[in-house]
Amino acid sequence: MVEKVKRLPRVFDYFVEKDQFAGGNTFCAGCPAELTLRTIPKVMGKDIVMLSCPCCAAPVMHGQNLGAWHKLAYYACVMTGVASSASGISRYYRKIGRDVTVVCFTGDGDANDVGFQPLSGAAERNEHIVYICYDNEGYMNTGNQRSSSTPIYAATSTTPVGKNQKGKTTVAKYLPLIMALHPVSYVATATLSHMEDYAKKLLKAKEKSKQGFAYIHVFAPCVIGFRINSDAAIQVCRMAVRTNYFPLWEMEDGVFRFTQTVGDPRPVQEYLSLCGKFSHLKEPEIAEVQKMVDERYSMLKALVEATAQKETASKT
Amino acid sequence: MKKLTYPYESCWSNADELLLYLETGTWRTSRPKVDKEKCNYCGLCALYCPPQCMIDKGDHFEPNLEFCKGCGICARECPRKAITMVREE
Amino acid sequence: MVKQMRKHETRVITGNACAAYAVRLCRPDVVALYPITPQSEVVEQLTRFKADGLLDAEMIEVEGENSAMNAVTAACVAGGRVFTATASYGLAFMYDAMMQTAGFRAPVVMVNVNREIPGIHAVSAGQQDLISVRDIGWLQIIVEDDQEIIDAIIQAYRLAEDYEIQLPVMINYDGYYLSFSAEAVKIPMIEDVDEYLSILKKQPQRLKLEPGKSMGAGSHGLLQTYTELRYKHMAAMERAKAKFDAIDKEYGDFFGRYYGGQIEEYRTDDAEIILVTSGSATGTAKTVVDAVRENGQKVGLVKIRMYRPFPRERLTKVLQGRKAIGVLDRSVGFGWNCGPMYQEIRALTPEIGKVPLMSFIDGLANMDITIPNIERMIRDIQAAAEGKPYQETTWVSLEE
Repeated sequence: MVEKVKRLPRVFDYFVEKDQFAGGNTFCAGCPAELTLRTIPKVMGKDIVMLSCPCCAAPVMHGQNLGAWHKLAYYACVMTGVASSASGISRYYRKIGRDVTVVCFTGDGDANDVGFQPLSGAAERNEHIVYICYDNEGYMNTGNQRSSSTPIYAATSTTPVGKNQKGKTTVAKYLPLIMALHPVSYVATATLSHMEDYAKKLLKAKEKSKQGFAYIHVFAPCVIGFRINSDAAIQVCRMAVRTNYFPLWEMEDGVFRFTQTVGDPRPVQEYLSLCGKFSHLKEPEIAEVQKMVDERYSMLKALVEATAQKETASKT
Repeated sequence: MKKLTYPYESCWSNADELLLYLETGTWRTSRPKVDKEKCNYCGLCALYCPPQCMIDKGDHFEPNLEFCKGCGICARECPRKAITMVREE
Repeated sequence: MVKQMRKHETRVITGNACAAYAVRLCRPDVVALYPITPQSEVVEQLTRFKADGLLDAEMIEVEGENSAMNAVTAACVAGGRVFTATASYGLAFMYDAMMQTAGFRAPVVMVNVNREIPGIHAVSAGQQDLISVRDIGWLQIIVEDDQEIIDAIIQAYRLAEDYEIQLPVMINYDGYYLSFSAEAVKIPMIEDVDEYLSILKKQPQRLKLEPGKSMGAGSHGLLQTYTELRYKHMAAMERAKAKFDAIDKEYGDFFGRYYGGQIEEYRTDDAEIILVTSGSATGTAKTVVDAVRENGQKVGLVKIRMYRPFPRERLTKVLQGRKAIGVLDRSVGFGWNCGPMYQEIRALTPEIGKVPLMSFIDGLANMDITIPNIERMIRDIQAAAEGKPYQETTWVSLEE
């Protein structure tokens, strides 16, 4: 008999509310987006108003006639209208003096592509909302089509691998940094292997949304789209962080900082080899991806260093 | 007379009236088996379970087999290798 | 029938300013603003009211009309009174959001300043924009002059938010002709508008989003429920007809101005021929009708005020027993080679009988619908009434 731990890990302290979602739902087995979604009201409470649009979460977030899969107050949007609808709701509650946390939850396809205009507009107006984007690097609900968050060389159903093409031909947008360059209160990246980091950021986003726009970009690799085993999602998230493919950072009132420093980053090859959608990659492509990962990390590091003085200045 | 059974003028769902659930337990091809002797009650299986179906039994966790989809994340993430995925009959 | 004339403020202001003044009186909670010619002054004036402390609303300076409609619809479903304004290209951009508004039965009130739609680039008046959105379940009202803009907007909130209706309302007025021209108008006092709209507070309250309450707006409509909801929507639109007539009468009793409800019947009692119009051209047409009547000709005019739902019963009644009817459209009915309002009136033939029915297309892209043009239309209708051969569709400005 092994000695039992005295108390559950600290991350469980963040879960102030029980799961607001019904037990069995339509998410695929092993889906990290499901974990992303269920965690939100556990940390933020059940009095939030959530919004979503057609995406992987929609079959669970939207009701079916009278029935619903969760107990939250909810507003279903069209893909072009998530951040804008949230702005309207948030402004109305502000007008009548009610303190309500409004949370948008969409995939990367909506945040990057068809819903980017309202997202950018709401961010520029520093609307008091939380926008959580779960990034499974494609339009997964409709069958793994590419989005502008799909990385270069990824095999998807609209960027297949064949004689004339080796997956996606263009580099992905890096939305978290784009959002951080808007005049917003808070931006963070998070993933499911680092649950305490994610929970902290959810709580921070809730607080910051009382003063302005809070954006969280969650890396949630799709089991089917990434061609991984149903038990592999957490491991893929962990490797994404360890290789600096998906660094964990936050920007709060203009100050950038890493929330997880990876002392000795693994070569990105170790992340790419876990994902079936990259199985056709050869040395030159892998080197190219490594270069991009390194450059992106340097850029973030430069931002952290440049804004560190701002933080110390404000503290003195 | 028309037969109108839906209670509202526009499409609202009401979880207090009807909370839906799928018997996702019927999806799985293997189920998690927890070895209580090896489990140190660290909680990581409950933390990482996507449908959050790990039930706290006080000194170990056990899956709610009504909803468990058999993804295997709990077995993979358990630091003590206390969970094994066993084929369903 | 005016029991007591309420106090009004008289101002000489443009149509756009009229819209802003009327919206201010209705005390909206959330206003979304985005500029587009010929509507920009509406949102500019509203922000000036806010800046001067005369309007206590959340003003969302959105980055596009699509966001404008999504924002106000969501705010409305959360329980607020809302407003936005747009025109042609902006109306097109908010199309998907507008469908959501109607499907959600959100009582949004919007001003659409009529302008030609994209395709042939135009920054000029025309009704094609309102025609292009007639099949998504909104209520549509078309007004004739600046005073009617004020009154129709106040009536719109009364209609949209009525518990038996709960549908979004679009107030249409001609760009340029009404938006930019100033008239002396009577503006009601805000306390009187509060009193007029207070009846809404006494009705049962509509469902709304409530944090902590397990209700979700916009669930999937599956199988029979979808059909049921469509049926209910259509039934509400039907109810809107009689409701609008009643609201207009009630408004007349309260403020002293009554417009006839769904349609205005101008000198139709003994009319042998009728011209059907809508929008600002009605003013010119009434002048011509008066002049022609001086010469003994029995002409009448019907103004379509409520276009959606289509005022079928009232039109059937007034169009019966005539010798010929002409319909003036400031737009085209693609696929039918005639004007769209003509096309819909033609559908009344089983009830009004087979009578010469003529379509006149005029006034596209700010081409004035002049007095000679309308005189020509009336001459043509008269000729048809006398049994002479006639064209079904006349493109007035293209005729030799």
